[in-house]
Amino acid sequence: MKRIAVRNLRLCTKDCLCLYVCPTGATDTEDSIIDASRCIGCGSCADACPSSAISMVVAEYPPQQRKDKDVCDAVLDAADCRSRLEAMAKKIAAETEEDGLRRLMKAIAMSSRLSSEDLLREGGYMLPQSSVSQDLIHSLIADPPEGFPTAEARELLRRIPCNDREGKKEESYRCSVCFSEFTLDDGEEAACPMCHAPKEKLERL
Amino acid sequence: MKYICQVCGYVYDEEAEGIPFSELPDDWACPMCRAPKNLFEAEEESDDGSAAIAEGPESFEKIPAGVLSAIFSNLARGAEKQYRSDEAGLFRKLSASFSAKAEGTESIEDASTLNSDFLERKLKAVRNAAKNASDRGALRAVTWAEKVARIVGSIIERYMKEGEDLLRYSDVWVCSICGFVYIGPEPTGICPVCKVPGWKFERIEGGDA
Repeated sequence: MKRIAVRNLRLCTKDCLCLYVCPTGATDTEDSIIDASRCIGCGSCADACPSSAISMVVAEYPPQQRKDKDVCDAVLDAADCRSRLEAMAKKIAAETEEDGLRRLMKAIAMSSRLSSEDLLREGGYMLPQSSVSQDLIHSLIADPPEGFPTAEARELLRRIPCNDREGKKEESYRCSVCFSEFTLDDGEEAACPMCHAPKEKLERL
Repeated sequence: MKYICQVCGYVYDEEAEGIPFSELPDDWACPMCRAPKNLFEAEEESDDGSAAIAEGPESFEKIPAGVLSAIFSNLARGAEKQYRSDEAGLFRKLSASFSAKAEGTESIEDASTLNSDFLERKLKAVRNAAKNASDRGALRAVTWAEKVARIVGSIIERYMKEGEDLLRYSDVWVCSICGFVYIGPEPTGICPVCKVPGWKFERIEGGDA
């Protein structure tokens, strides 16, 4: 499984051994974030780092844990309750003249959001790559509420492919008749999209 | 007899302390997390949260705007954890396009009631569903949310009693991981709920809301 290196800036003590051992220069960047597009996953930097600030993470995330429907429903209901407290606390903070109450209500608004997010993670919305997350974005694009940033939502779907849609595994082929290369979804009728050569004329790559 | 803090798990052992729990003053608070006395329970009577609730969770036809906002701000975190900062920014834009509206005039009493409803009904429903599904991840989230809501409830109650005096010379801090709220000087130890180091707490500034 392909891995890439990531750096925890809190731990980095700038010994910079990673710069010396990296074969592609991926660890040497102006914002200190390792360049994932250049990292080949060799792990040399993680091995060399004296402060254990670099770890290797999977390049492709595994499908998230499936969640029981009752858990998801109960989580949405609880998150709804917490989001109403968040809205209420924000409103009280905005309207009060008292400094203490304003700080307290801002704290409660922040706290409520954190609890909602944590619960929602356990209610199926852990990975942006999951079909649960992606189906939600698709449904909002299909019927956008007022002010919904549709262009950004489409961009997200383009950048983050779904990783748990069944029967949607892609296979790459080359056509032995016209030599074009293309991918087909698993289960899709195999035929060359360019010259319509049948399945027998295609080589799997 | 031992008494256990329902927020951070601190144990008050009457035998070791030499003072019966009931004789501690009313303003005594947990030395670990500052939870008030009434958030302690005697060891045997610990509530396992299994009290049956009649109704099952309601199923939403349409996810409310406030929840959508939290779903997308959470997915922004998911993108950040994968070092995808551009995608995190896009998710934050989606999140910002939704917000829950607070209806009518709101008071601190309403906030207290809503917090109790969350604790006593909503979280119990999640706990029951999670137990039935043997979902330990969801049980973990419920445990954190419960402790945080308890401390939030106790601070609201204290504010209702003491008013601005409670906060005049004190800072308010929130654990940026679990949402634990703490009143006092800069936290030096670990979060009593999720155990992250003190630097993960954020100080809440006054000024503009």
